[in-house]
Amino acid sequence: MVFEIVAELIAERNDCDVSEIKPESKFSELGIDSLDTVEMMMSLEERLGREIELDRKVETVGEFVAYVEEQLAKAEENA
Amino acid sequence: MWHTSRNSSPKLKKMLNSKICELLGIKYPIFQGGMAWVADGKLAAAVSEGGGLGIIGAGNAPAEQVKEQIEIARSITSKPFGVNIMLMSPYADEVAELVARERVAVVTTGAGNPSKYMAMWKSVGIKVIPVVASVAMAKLMTRAGADALVAEGGEAGGHVGELSTMVLVPLVCDATHLPVIAAGGIADGRAAAAAFMLGACGVQVGTRFLSAYECSIHRNYKDRVLRAGDLDTIVTGKRLGHPVRSLKSPFSRAYFKAEYSGVSDEELDRMGTGAFRIAVQEGDIERGCFLAGQSAALVKKEQPAAEIVREIAEEAERILMEAQKWVK
Repeated sequence: MVFEIVAELIAERNDCDVSEIKPESKFSELGIDSLDTVEMMMSLEERLGREIELDRKVETVGEFVAYVEEQLAKAEENA
Repeated sequence: MWHTSRNSSPKLKKMLNSKICELLGIKYPIFQGGMAWVADGKLAAAVSEGGGLGIIGAGNAPAEQVKEQIEIARSITSKPFGVNIMLMSPYADEVAELVARERVAVVTTGAGNPSKYMAMWKSVGIKVIPVVASVAMAKLMTRAGADALVAEGGEAGGHVGELSTMVLVPLVCDATHLPVIAAGGIADGRAAAAAFMLGACGVQVGTRFLSAYECSIHRNYKDRVLRAGDLDTIVTGKRLGHPVRSLKSPFSRAYFKAEYSGVSDEELDRMGTGAFRIAVQEGDIERGCFLAGQSAALVKKEQPAAEIVREIAEEAERILMEAQKWVK
């Protein structure tokens, strides 16, 4: 689910088709720098309705999604 | 708010002041940017002695070297000063721990997200002031518990964002309840006054201090800043995701050309390695990257750091006092 939302956010930002965004796509190749990542994270928070702390460097869409899912799972455990 | 204690004359003199002065215990709401390799303990102390907030730039230095600079600053001044931590530095972790141990008054951070150090710093009473270049980053840092924000526009020297100061500052002011310090393109009292009009309650000045007597950069570096005209800076490094603004030089032109040619990322990375240090210490125009903001064009003379602080404050005071002439 997270991947679909992230892909959608990137596609919207880059004016491209969602199908072009793959888990192995690198942020650098998508023209997304670290500031853009923070902005994307904020939009993702709005969509998920919860806060995410991104404190590590991620290079691909897949890594970012895995990280977010990990946080969501942790939050679930603690709930 | 005026403080009688800060004026020796019995007559109360109105002066530039804001909540950032009270928060940090400084006379003027003027920060000196924590320029890597440039802003050492001596420069930071001179600025703090002059009533501003001096900031030591940790850059890519290991904790041991930063500690030396903190000690130098403390031997010169008892006033508060800060340390800027460049979060991309391989030594960021150890410098973050050092400033907590040393209980430095203020920490500013650049090139990243300092959230993971926030609790450690706040627990020892350090005021944390991240440098932000976008609204999302400003929101994130507000949430993470920052005490104030430096909103730095792309006119600045060194690592830069895209937005100009004129646009970024009001946007950041709208996005946070924290005090905002404007940076990027500010070298005199006119720009400082304008920043207050945009909603900032302080300014951070970098490039102007390159001309300070207490700034120990190479003679060639200083001369190039003093000679710089309005079109003499260039932004390189966009391709690797870390754009920096520097003075045009044989090095920056060659790098710029390489960046837009078939040269590999690794080769580019190699070209840039050590270039900041070489500029500062050796003044070599073929191999050094002379970081400076667009405001280099406004820097015309060498003078003591304290005089720079006072000049900026007094000019801003004069302009702000006269500002009502625009409303009739």
